[in-house]
Amino acid sequence: MRRRPPALLAAWLLAILAIGTLHAQQRPGVVTIDRAEAVPAGWHDDTPPTTGWTPVTLPDDWSARWPHHDGVVWYRLHWNQADAAHPVGLLVNEVRMAGEVYVNGSLIHRDPHLVEPLSRSWIKPQYFLLDKPLLHAGDNTLTVRVSGLADYQPGLGVALVGDPRAAYAQYHVGWRMRFQLQLYNQAIYLAMGLMFLVLWLFRRRDTIYGWFAASTAFTAVFEWNNIAPSTWPFASTDVFQSWNMVSYIAASVSLGVFLLRFCRQRWPRTEAALWIYTGATVLCALFAPHLLGTWRFKLALPAVVLYYAIPLAFIAYTVRHRQPERVALAICLLIPLPANVHDVLRFFEVIHDRMYVSGLTSPLTLLGMSVVLAYRFAAAMRRIEAFNVELRHEVDAATSSLAGTLARQHALELDHTRIGERLHLVRDLHDGFGGSLVGAIVTLEQSPPTPETARTIATLKELRDDLRLVIDTTTHEQLTDLAGLLAPLLHRWDQRLDMAGIDGRWRLDALEGLRLGATRSLDLLRFLQEALTNVLKHSGASRVDVAVRRLGGHLHVEVRDDGRGFDPATRKTGGAGLASLHARATRLGGHLSLDAAPTRGVAARLDFPLAT
Amino acid sequence: MKSVTDTDQGQVLIVEDDVATQRRLARLLAEQAGDDAGMAIAGDIDAAKAQCAERLPDLALVDIGLPDGCGIELIAWLHASHPQVVTVVVSTWGDEETVLAALQAGATGYLLKERDDVELSLALQSIRRGGAPIDPFVAKRILALLPAPPHAKNAAKPRKATEPSGAGLSDRELDILSLVACGHSNRQIAELTALSRLTIESYTKNIYRKLAVNSRTAAVFEAKARRLLR
Repeated sequence: MRRRPPALLAAWLLAILAIGTLHAQQRPGVVTIDRAEAVPAGWHDDTPPTTGWTPVTLPDDWSARWPHHDGVVWYRLHWNQADAAHPVGLLVNEVRMAGEVYVNGSLIHRDPHLVEPLSRSWIKPQYFLLDKPLLHAGDNTLTVRVSGLADYQPGLGVALVGDPRAAYAQYHVGWRMRFQLQLYNQAIYLAMGLMFLVLWLFRRRDTIYGWFAASTAFTAVFEWNNIAPSTWPFASTDVFQSWNMVSYIAASVSLGVFLLRFCRQRWPRTEAALWIYTGATVLCALFAPHLLGTWRFKLALPAVVLYYAIPLAFIAYTVRHRQPERVALAICLLIPLPANVHDVLRFFEVIHDRMYVSGLTSPLTLLGMSVVLAYRFAAAMRRIEAFNVELRHEVDAATSSLAGTLARQHALELDHTRIGERLHLVRDLHDGFGGSLVGAIVTLEQSPPTPETARTIATLKELRDDLRLVIDTTTHEQLTDLAGLLAPLLHRWDQRLDMAGIDGRWRLDALEGLRLGATRSLDLLRFLQEALTNVLKHSGASRVDVAVRRLGGHLHVEVRDDGRGFDPATRKTGGAGLASLHARATRLGGHLSLDAAPTRGVAARLDFPLAT
Repeated sequence: MKSVTDTDQGQVLIVEDDVATQRRLARLLAEQAGDDAGMAIAGDIDAAKAQCAERLPDLALVDIGLPDGCGIELIAWLHASHPQVVTVVVSTWGDEETVLAALQAGATGYLLKERDDVELSLALQSIRRGGAPIDPFVAKRILALLPAPPHAKNAAKPRKATEPSGAGLSDRELDILSLVACGHSNRQIAELTALSRLTIESYTKNIYRKLAVNSRTAAVFEAKARRLLR
């Protein structure tokens, strides 16, 4: 990378030389006339003076010889025509600013304005086809009356005479390079400038587009100089030239600001100074256009320096802070450097070439820069789109999470309300109905015992036991798992069986964390309570084994006693108790199987799926 | 059996407004202690306090819903003024809120009216022998009250049974609470802890006592803090 700058420099020097030699090529059959005589005259002199002719070499800039001569200079050129039988082509390369062309004393061309505002004839070459009788064999005289202003490089370029085809070809090259190419450039600059102007208008925050548009538009105005045939819309050459200068300075400053912004830089003081400089030239153009015209080289010098320094500074900055977009832009800025150097040298008359060549490279630069900006714009859009997608995802996630939270909260609140209501109901139950029930049992037990009261007491106690289960499941269902719900039942029955002389054995397997819901828990507890009541009342057993275990998706419940049992075929001792057990099993969606035989006890097995 | 019951609580005070329940409790007590048991019956808090002034009972059975107030007030009063009296709360269904409040007020046991006579009789017997019955839900609630859940079984270094842990309860006491809460039968707990039922029930009584002491200190502390704030 370090070796590249010298290599690039060498390449550009070669390019400058190549541009310089491009136009030196001479076509065969054409004679270049670069010797002439010149004599100054007044604005309105119609005929050349007879005396005072001075030999000059073309191209000629008379301001060097007659520094303050604004007006007319007559140029006289001679060529020898060996044979006048065939027509010849005549090419007058450059007339600054306007003029008349005479051949052998006959007028063959006159520009529209020979006094201020002068026509701008220099923008393109002129071609004439000469034939008899105008064309003489032997000596022929070409006289060019040039109207010019000392400040604007007045004078005459070379003339070419020879084979019409060859001369025309030469003319055509000049016309295309000097005029047509500039016209195209003008169109491109205007189009690009407008496009980015519109882009900026819709996205004011992206000021780089605005500065790029300004730079391009001002350049277009400046380039108008190369194709404007008259000073329109200005009243004089001075005014035209001063505004031309202003546009050049504005283009340079805009380019500078554009590049600064492209590097995300802001140099307020330097920028202010540049705008003051621009403003000063604007004032000058408004109030003293002639002054600006006279001093334009010196006044434009800072702008010229800026025009070339800023891209160079940008390239240097890019080398240090490399980034794809900047590198691309730096390359675009490198392309036109040789041509620009050439043109600056031409402008300051260091080299006397006939044309400015930046017109060849500037569209390339402009297109390159536009591509970079468009790429940048597209990249920004992609970032925004990606951001949008991400944002949408996040919003969706947040929304669904919020909805979930709200739903859970709602469910929780519903649950709380439901539990609250249930607890309230249970409190009412055990305070009111429960109290009366227990009171009734106590009262009946204190009354004289009869079979009637004994039956009533038994029934009331069944109701009481059931109420106990209802209270326990309702109060604790939310707080504990199935093992927790079974604990008080087992605890109580442990005591009851103990008192009845029955050895009660419990086995709970894998019930931790298992929840059946209030209804099914209650059904299961009722099943166990009824099975145990049966054992207590009817079995005469000395031992009962209770097992509740979870196996896969099922709950297995077994109550097995070693009592007197019964014959399942007759179901003598089954009765209402067994029917009730079957009903519970059905409600739980399960199956009850009774394994019973006389004298071998009873095993009631319930098996039901956990999933409802 | 009889020798044990005779030596413990002599005078019993029944604080109960329902006549049938009064009779029932008196009958059960008489069945156990025989006719020589001193028994007094009060229908409300005022009468109970008057009875205490006359003759301080050894055991007081206090109903929750009394005509002139809540039985828990009486329990708290007894605990504060006559801490030597063993108080037992009598509730119909024994919802844990009530039982716990009574235990914290100073009761060292509870009886449920919904239980059969035999069951009540068994509980009374235990109380008169110096024990206190407990059931899984109450055990669970007491565990929930403790500042840190007991991990005595999982602890890396085993502590001695008497060593106090959360809320002043020993590891043994916490073990018993956990076992009851899990629904183990009395026999199973006795097997697991290698303690007799009577010992287990006296542990329970101790737990209740500590519960009352803890809640009282907490109340005193809170009161002091409030006064300081004022």
